[in-house]
Formats: sequence, C-alpha cells, structure tokens
Amino acid sequence: MALIELKNIHKHFRMGDEDIHALNDVSVVINQGDFTSIVGTSGSGKSTLMNIIGLLDLPGEGQYFLDGINTTEMSDDELSEYRNQKIGFVFQSFNLLPKSSALKNVEMPMQYASSYNKKLTDELIRKMALETLDKVGLSPRVHHLPNELSGGQRQRVAIARALVNNPKILLADEPTGALDSKTSEEILNLFAELNKQGVTVIIVTHDNKVANRCRRILRMTDGKIAEESRS
Amino acid sequence: MIFKKILINSTEAIYENKLRSALTMLGMIIGVMAVILLVSVGTGAKRYITSEFESMGTNIILVQPGKTDKKNSMGPPVSSSKGKLTMGDVEALQKNATSLSAVSGVMFGAGVVKNDTATNNINILGCNDQFNRIFNMTIVEGNFFSKEDEESGRRVVVLGYTIRQNLFGANNALGQLVKVNDSEHRVIGVIKPTGDKLGFNVDDMVFIPTRSALRLFNTTNLFGIRATAKSRNSLDDAVADVASILKERHNNEEDFTTITQVTMMESMNTILNMLTYALAAIAFISMLVGGIGIMNIMLVSVTERTREIGIRRAVGARRSDILRQFMIEAIVISVAGGTLGILISLVITNALFLFLPGFDMRPPFWILPPAFLMSLFTGVVFGVWPARKAAHIQTIDALRYE
Repeated sequence: MALIELKNIHKHFRMGDEDIHALNDVSVVINQGDFTSIVGTSGSGKSTLMNIIGLLDLPGEGQYFLDGINTTEMSDDELSEYRNQKIGFVFQSFNLLPKSSALKNVEMPMQYASSYNKKLTDELIRKMALETLDKVGLSPRVHHLPNELSGGQRQRVAIARALVNNPKILLADEPTGALDSKTSEEILNLFAELNKQGVTVIIVTHDNKVANRCRRILRMTDGKIAEESRS
Repeated sequence: MIFKKILINSTEAIYENKLRSALTMLGMIIGVMAVILLVSVGTGAKRYITSEFESMGTNIILVQPGKTDKKNSMGPPVSSSKGKLTMGDVEALQKNATSLSAVSGVMFGAGVVKNDTATNNINILGCNDQFNRIFNMTIVEGNFFSKEDEESGRRVVVLGYTIRQNLFGANNALGQLVKVNDSEHRVIGVIKPTGDKLGFNVDDMVFIPTRSALRLFNTTNLFGIRATAKSRNSLDDAVADVASILKERHNNEEDFTTITQVTMMESMNTILNMLTYALAAIAFISMLVGGIGIMNIMLVSVTERTREIGIRRAVGARRSDILRQFMIEAIVISVAGGTLGILISLVITNALFLFLPGFDMRPPFWILPPAFLMSLFTGVVFGVWPARKAAHIQTIDALRYE
C-alpha cells in the first residue's frame, strides 16, 4: 500500500543570482513497511527531497500524497499535526534540546500531541516516554542531559523521540554521520529492528555502506532519481 | 500543548537562564517600584497638605471685597477692589446669619512691635473675639480678646509665640506694655506655637482688636471678613446666607467674593493632582524602559533558541504553540518582576513609616492592582513582537542554525 506518493515534484532555490533546480520532476512511491534509503552526493537534492517528504518544506510544483491525503493543500497547522502524528525525525546532529533531560526530550512530541489526543495525560506521557526509552536501551540514563550521554546514546534518545508518537514513517537524515562505525552499526540494527516491527524507515545518506543496509535504494543525481535498486 | 504545560516549560526556561532572567526582571521591578513610589509621594504630599489645611480650621468662609467671575480662584487682588467691607457688615452677619458660628472682620498690615529689649518687624492682624474659634487657635498664656476689648477698641494685644519669646524671653509677658507701631498696647494673651502652616505662621504675628487696628491703620475698610459655618453640611447654606445679607447691605450689588475652604481645597487639589499625574507619567516612562528591556532580552532569547524552535516545529509544534511559549515567558518575567516590585515598594514605604511616622508615603491601595496589571500588560505588549518573530522562523532554516 502506498504510504508516500510523490507526483512530478519540482523545487527551485535562489542562491544569490543562481537559480538552483534542487528537485526536477521527481515521482516516487514508498509503501507501508518499506526500508528505503535515498543516496546521493552533496547537492544531489536528497536533503530537499527529505524535507519535502518530512513536511518541513513544500514543493514548488507537483503533488505529495501522504497516507492518501494531498499534503500540498494543507495549512501550516495541519502540516504541524501531520509531522507530529505521522512522521518521526532523526537528524545527523541529534537535535536534542540541550538543557532538557533525555526523558523531557522524548516527552516533548507527546506534549504537542496532547492537543489532538486528550487521553494523553501527564502520567501517560511519562509512562510512554519511559517505555520508548527502554525500547532503545536507555532505561538507566533517562534523567541525563544530552551532554552527559555518548553520541550513540544521544542518537538513541533522538530515535526514541521520533518513535514516541507511533509515527508511520521514520525519517533519518545521515543518522550515523556523527557516529563511529561500531555505534553506527548498532543504530542501523535498531532501524532494521524497528522496520521489522512495521515502521516505514527512510534513511537519507551519502554513505553507500549505510544505504546497502536498506532493502530499496534510490540514488539521486542533479535533482532526479537516477537509479533504483534493491538489495 | 495545553496552557499549564507551556507555563511549566516557560518557567523552566526562565530558570535555566537565571542571571539573564533576573536582570530582565530587574527592569520590571524598578518600573513597578517607580510607579508605586512616585504615586505614593504624590498622594502622600496631598494627604500632608490636606491635613495641614484642615488643621487651620474647618468650614471656614472668607469674604473679600471686590468681585471676580472666575470660580475656584483665591479671590480678587485685595488692593484693586472697588467694593468695601466695613464693621457694619460684620455686625450684620453676627446678628442675622444664623448658620454661622463665628464671624470676624480682619485688618491686616505690616508693622513693628517693640519693648525695651527687642524690636520685631511683624504682621499685625486686627480681629475680634471670635477669631480664635474660626482658626482653631489655642491660647497658652492669658486670654484672647473679650467682647468688650473689641467693642471699645482697647489697646490690647495677643502675641504669637515667637514674638513673645523675642520680647520677653523667660520673663512674664502678661500685663506688660509693648509698642505696636508706636502705640502702647497691653499684652493679654499668647498663642500656642503651631509652626508654619502653608506659609501662614501664627507664631510670627500679633493680634489686636479690629477697631484698634482700623484706628492704627487709619481706615474704615476691612481687609476682609472671616467666618465659620456651624457644620460642614451647612457650609453652602452659610455661604448663601452671607451673600444675601451682604448684598442687601450693598445696594443689591454683589461687590464681594466668598471663598470657602472647599473651593480653596479644590484649587489646591487641582495642583496636587497635576503633581501626581506628572509623577505617574515619569513612572510610566520607567515602566516603558522595563518593557523595552524585556523585549530586548526576548529577541536575544529567540535568536539564541532558533534551533530549539526548529526542533519543536519539526516534532509538531504549531506556530501558535511557539507564539504562546515565548509570550508566556515574557509575561512570566514581567509579572514576576511586577509582583516583586510591589512587594519591595511596600516594604520600603512601611519601613520608612516605621522610622519616620510623620512622613507617611505608604502607597494607597488603589495603585496596587493597576501596577500589577501594568506589569502584565507590559509583558503582553513587549512580548508579542519577539514571540511572533519566533513563530515565523522557517523550520528548515532553524534546524540548520548554529
């Protein structure tokens, strides 16, 4: 079943006097339960594509259906709600709130979710955050601040934060870029495990080794999907 | 996100930046303190002057010769008046004005009082036996004039306390002769020292019967008439009474002006209110400065936390959530500052009152709610712009912000 359906997506940027065609007629379908990577060199348009899939950015032209709904016609509030409910982000630089504990970081998306779901009481939020942190193997360190955690642990907090609202899509932008190879391996194993449990995982990377861990690889060049392969 | 959670988050954010928050609050604390203290000074001064005014005597009516159409003024300039008030007018009022409890004609002039020991240049006030009741004057030695003293224009004098001290020092003053403008007068009384009351110092004056004064200054025209109504409620009736009696005697022409303590208080209050407003305006400016301080810090905070804003937006915060978060932070800072400002100014004024009871600058209660609301309002007004700026930061740019 198609979870993500991109139809003829274009995106232009102006950089000084130069007009950059970051995405040039991209059409792609990603199904529920897929384990996909988007690979490409810097400037290939992969990050722009990720931002559009993650509803952080809007396409210049074309249509994007997420879970059967046309997102290009959504208001800013609706986009926020979709990001909250359907998408979990994992970033290269973790993007944790530095002055909040691991637990507080993981609770944050649920606090915004409580606007839509009145059942989310403070107690339930706490319980679910602890459960999710346990799931990524961080139970003993829930009250630590991000700078008291190792890189791998920080990325686990970020993954827990991405998962806590039970999103359909886990969107990871260079998730291992700041980690050593052993930790990278652990994080990738975690993604594989989550995928087995039914989460649709999309990893954006320039690293072929990382990409090869995914079942489906979309290779981008000059704003187009140049090649598609399965491993 | 619900309000309570944002409030908790905001309080945490403020706590995480203790020093900066405290300094921002300081601006608000000073602003609110300025509002309260300056208004307190204004109302305290008003209270002081009012009580001084009232201690001079209550329900006083002044009748001055001449007429001006202006209300609430202190009457026409004395020398320019064409109307005349005489002893006959005073007697008519004493006889016919039932709403008055005391009436006295007054004659006022500069002069010299001397005996063998000292010479004093002073103000001489001619008045009758009822005058001390009109102005609440207490006699400490001897007596005030009697009715006979007044009616026969005896050469007797009642001294202000300073004059008495200058002329007689530790010696007995009663029964002694002093020269008032070269005419010998016998001292029959001394007035209790009262100090300066709104520029009118009884201690530096001498009092002689009206008729003696008229003779001394060689005139038949009084400086004015002073009277007191039986009660504050009957003051208006008393004024009407005085006016109708005098008008009848003056060929139906109102060639005099009546001034009551109420009208004098009104014009005094106008001035004092202006003072209070002027102080409030100064206080308002310091509040404004405090507000700008909050805005400044909130703008810094927004810039510094751009990445946090990006993260929050990425995980699903709506623009309104971000707006509310920064608004509430600004309001928490300003309201906390305002509350502290109120408390500190209460402590200061009450401590001052404890050590200097004569100097009551305790703030009137009515200023406290507006002062609090103003701090809240300042937080809202100066929090809006930074919060709107925060809410409209582009998410992708914010996530990349270093």
